[in-house]
Amino acid sequence: MTALTRLNTDEILRYMGCPPERADAGLRAQAEDCAGELLGVVRPRWRERTVELSFEAGGVRLENGLLLPGEDLKRHLAGCGRAAVFCATLGAETDALIRRAERLDMGRALALDCCASAAVEEICDRIEEELHSKFPGCSFPFRYSPGYGDLPLSVQGPLLDLLDAPRRVGLCASASHILTPRKSVTAILGVAQGEIAQQKRSCLGCPAQGSCQYRKAGGHCGIS
Amino acid sequence: MEFRELLKASGPILLDGGMGTMLQARGLKLGEHPELAALEHPDWLLDIHRAYVEAGTQILCANTFGANREKLKRTGRTVEEVIPPSIAVARQAADGKALVALDLGPIGQLLEPTGSLDFETAVDIFAQQVRSAARAGVDLVKIETMTDLQECRAALLAVKENSDLPVIVSLTYEERGRTFLGHSPACAALTLEGMGADVIGINCSLGPREMPVLVEELTRWTTLPISVKPNAGLPDPGGAGYDITADEFAAAMADLTQLGVKLYGGCCGTTPEYIAKLKKALEDRVIRAVPRNIPAAVCSPARAVPVDRVRVIGERINPTGKKRMKQALLQDDVDFMLSQALEQVEAGADILDVNVGLPEIDEGAMMVKVVKALQGVTDVPLQLDSTRPEVLERALRVYCGKAIVNSVNGDEETLDAILPLVKKYGAAVVGLTLDKKGIPKTALERLDIARRILNRALNYGIRQEDVYIDCLTLTVSAEQEAACQTLEAVRRVKKELGLKTVLGVSNISFGLPARPLVNQNFLTMAMAMGLDLPIINPNLDAMMAAVRSYHLLMNIDREARDFIAAYANADVSTSITAGGKTLQSAAPAGERTLAQIVEAGLKGEAGPAARKLLETASPMEVVDGILIPALDRVGADFEAGRVFLPQLIQAAGAAQAAFEVIREQLSAQPGGQEMARGVVVVATVKGDIHDIGKNIVKVLLENYGYPVVDLGRDVEPAAVVEAVRKHAAPLVGLSALMTTTLGSMETTIRLLREEGLPCKVVVGGAVLTADYAKKIGADFYAKDAKESVDVARQVIG
Repeated sequence: MTALTRLNTDEILRYMGCPPERADAGLRAQAEDCAGELLGVVRPRWRERTVELSFEAGGVRLENGLLLPGEDLKRHLAGCGRAAVFCATLGAETDALIRRAERLDMGRALALDCCASAAVEEICDRIEEELHSKFPGCSFPFRYSPGYGDLPLSVQGPLLDLLDAPRRVGLCASASHILTPRKSVTAILGVAQGEIAQQKRSCLGCPAQGSCQYRKAGGHCGIS
Repeated sequence: MEFRELLKASGPILLDGGMGTMLQARGLKLGEHPELAALEHPDWLLDIHRAYVEAGTQILCANTFGANREKLKRTGRTVEEVIPPSIAVARQAADGKALVALDLGPIGQLLEPTGSLDFETAVDIFAQQVRSAARAGVDLVKIETMTDLQECRAALLAVKENSDLPVIVSLTYEERGRTFLGHSPACAALTLEGMGADVIGINCSLGPREMPVLVEELTRWTTLPISVKPNAGLPDPGGAGYDITADEFAAAMADLTQLGVKLYGGCCGTTPEYIAKLKKALEDRVIRAVPRNIPAAVCSPARAVPVDRVRVIGERINPTGKKRMKQALLQDDVDFMLSQALEQVEAGADILDVNVGLPEIDEGAMMVKVVKALQGVTDVPLQLDSTRPEVLERALRVYCGKAIVNSVNGDEETLDAILPLVKKYGAAVVGLTLDKKGIPKTALERLDIARRILNRALNYGIRQEDVYIDCLTLTVSAEQEAACQTLEAVRRVKKELGLKTVLGVSNISFGLPARPLVNQNFLTMAMAMGLDLPIINPNLDAMMAAVRSYHLLMNIDREARDFIAAYANADVSTSITAGGKTLQSAAPAGERTLAQIVEAGLKGEAGPAARKLLETASPMEVVDGILIPALDRVGADFEAGRVFLPQLIQAAGAAQAAFEVIREQLSAQPGGQEMARGVVVVATVKGDIHDIGKNIVKVLLENYGYPVVDLGRDVEPAAVVEAVRKHAAPLVGLSALMTTTLGSMETTIRLLREEGLPCKVVVGGAVLTADYAKKIGADFYAKDAKESVDVARQVIG
């Protein structure tokens, strides 16, 4: 993957709760400045593993025996015989940068936090692109993460184990299934031979039901 | 032969190679737990261990890498069920020809501050493994594949506190020479040697060809034997394998004898073949004796600070004579201390002194809280400052790195209480040249006490380089002859004992006019006499200027780089004006009113504007007549969608700067006190570590003048109850971002109710809804930070 050298300012502004077309020059400059600072400390790392899928009453079972429970993912992966499971993280120094900024200037901390969200999303997009080229002639439903729909966060740890993520990229899950470092993602990208009906990513499965900051600003969170 | 004898004998020590990849080759299936091999596939494990012994391995790692209670949870097995049989298989394979090590890998969850695992819990997890292994009988412990120095410390303490086994500690680094968490080999070496590791090493991550630069860094910072156990090269881009052969591996490893490496082995992708070839390649090599000259140095996990020039210790985190700091301590306002810390670092402090001693508070608990918080936001090393050994021990336990203990003195009791702690936790120590009889008048007597302190420290096994002497500054207005004695003592301690010296400088001028002038000149004279570690306020540029000038004039600041960087564009006045930065920045703030400044979010202008207003108006007039209405206008615009969250926060930041000025003025008045308003306790609930939302709420509440007690993130329900009771808080704000932690929000509310506390509870967070808030028993739901202010007004007024 090529190095991350720039971020989408509009995307950052949306995460900050400001519709991009209504951002003044100062805010835009702050977003860009923070993006520069963030890109100086991120150390994106990722892992991927392709596994066979089998569908059963309780959910989707991965080749290693791990059951991803619930109906939503099962529906989502219909038609996919395999899935690429991946994780990505910006690294612990990103968390430290945001923590430090929170003590100095909360406005800047918010901007940095949003830049980090945009960066991790960008990394995931690139991983997805790479995976698409790895499976020519296949089609892919959008990537799906624990916390979407009825897929519980408790699968974070087992997914990271499958990827040997703690050892290979330094990404772990806490006892309450939160990814640490914080700016990290785990995702499941279904791989189907031939065509499948494409679904749109939506907030329907989200417990916040569109009442979150991102929706108010006309965007979406994109991450779990 | 015992491990420690093996270390003393000449020649290399051969370790083993990969285990996981070997088990997979044997048929371990995807999804099977490698930790259970001793129970499920003992024959495979025995064969693998035997193959390594036949290849020449002298130390076998038992298959216990992931056998901790957290990782074993998903297998349904306990530590006691897994570790003894794993060791037994290794012992059987060793058959007297190899030693057996307990292998301790990472717990699998990150510790604070990146993760949420508490340090003492980590110690306890490792301790359980160590006790089980010690009972089963092992020869040593190998802590390996660590990415967090704090986790290494936890494991090492667990070994030391539960056995007398020798220990190898090995971390894994990326190509940039840092661990995933950004920790450096230098810091690992300084910290772990101090804490009593027997060997320091590198394993996993990279191949043997990437080792030399890491090994060289280690040799600059530790006298301990070095162990190297790399992967079979870098991951092969095409597949799951690694990119170098057994022959290439052996050749590259054998070259490390030139750098003085003592223990050799392999990690992922290496096999008995690699180890056999490695043995052969090492046969005709001699390990070069690389001289190790380790400087006096302290460190955090990411920054090593050698005392090879004047290093400034920032003095501001100390309540003595500082009203605002006292107030912060009484109100659990750790954020204030963090802002003081970051300001000093910005101004050029290399090390920060941390003193939180106030009779009214639990100093030990506060020390732990502040040390953890400081290490979460800055990587400068800390000087832990307390007169109480139990406080120092608590601080040393959680401090990650090599700290300075401030202080011991010539009094026997103090030495015997504190020096063992310095040794156990591998710190450096400041020795004050005084004893039970007080501060001696002459330089000679102070030198005697310094010598006594040094000898005692050496007896406790503390390195000479880790003893720093404070020859004590007395007030020159009271005893004019004392300054010369202090300076002479500094000179002699430096020259005759060869020790680094510390000095609190500012005391010298107490009671005199033009204090900065006296302080600056005394500092310069002391540095010329050999002062290494001045304890000063780095925010005063006169002091930093003296240090920078000294480095320039002594040819330490090569090509005047630092000096020019600091002063190239400076406007230097040679006339004497009292005071520092804050007075200079009190210039009139142009034509804008304070209200306009707040609404525009101009943080830098708000303080000076408030100060100007306070010349003619009372603090409450400024708060109620200007600041609050201005914030209200911004708040209304936010609700109407005319401004957005960033502008709301900027306005709050500007108001905060104005409030800070008002608070200073209030606490400076005789009998002055905080605006007496109900306290709001805020916390991100247990299990949750996403706290930026809660922090935004906090900033806003503070800027409406509400004192806020921030308990941080991942907060136990009981801690919320305790804080509400202690501060008689009428309002509690709880935040949770993840669906999984809403349960602890409910538990917290229930506990508050059960304890019969009369507080109201407001909740917020991305996944919360008004309905859900009601369901879990909250009084209010706030959809954003602005609404939480509205709630506070309703509840508190």
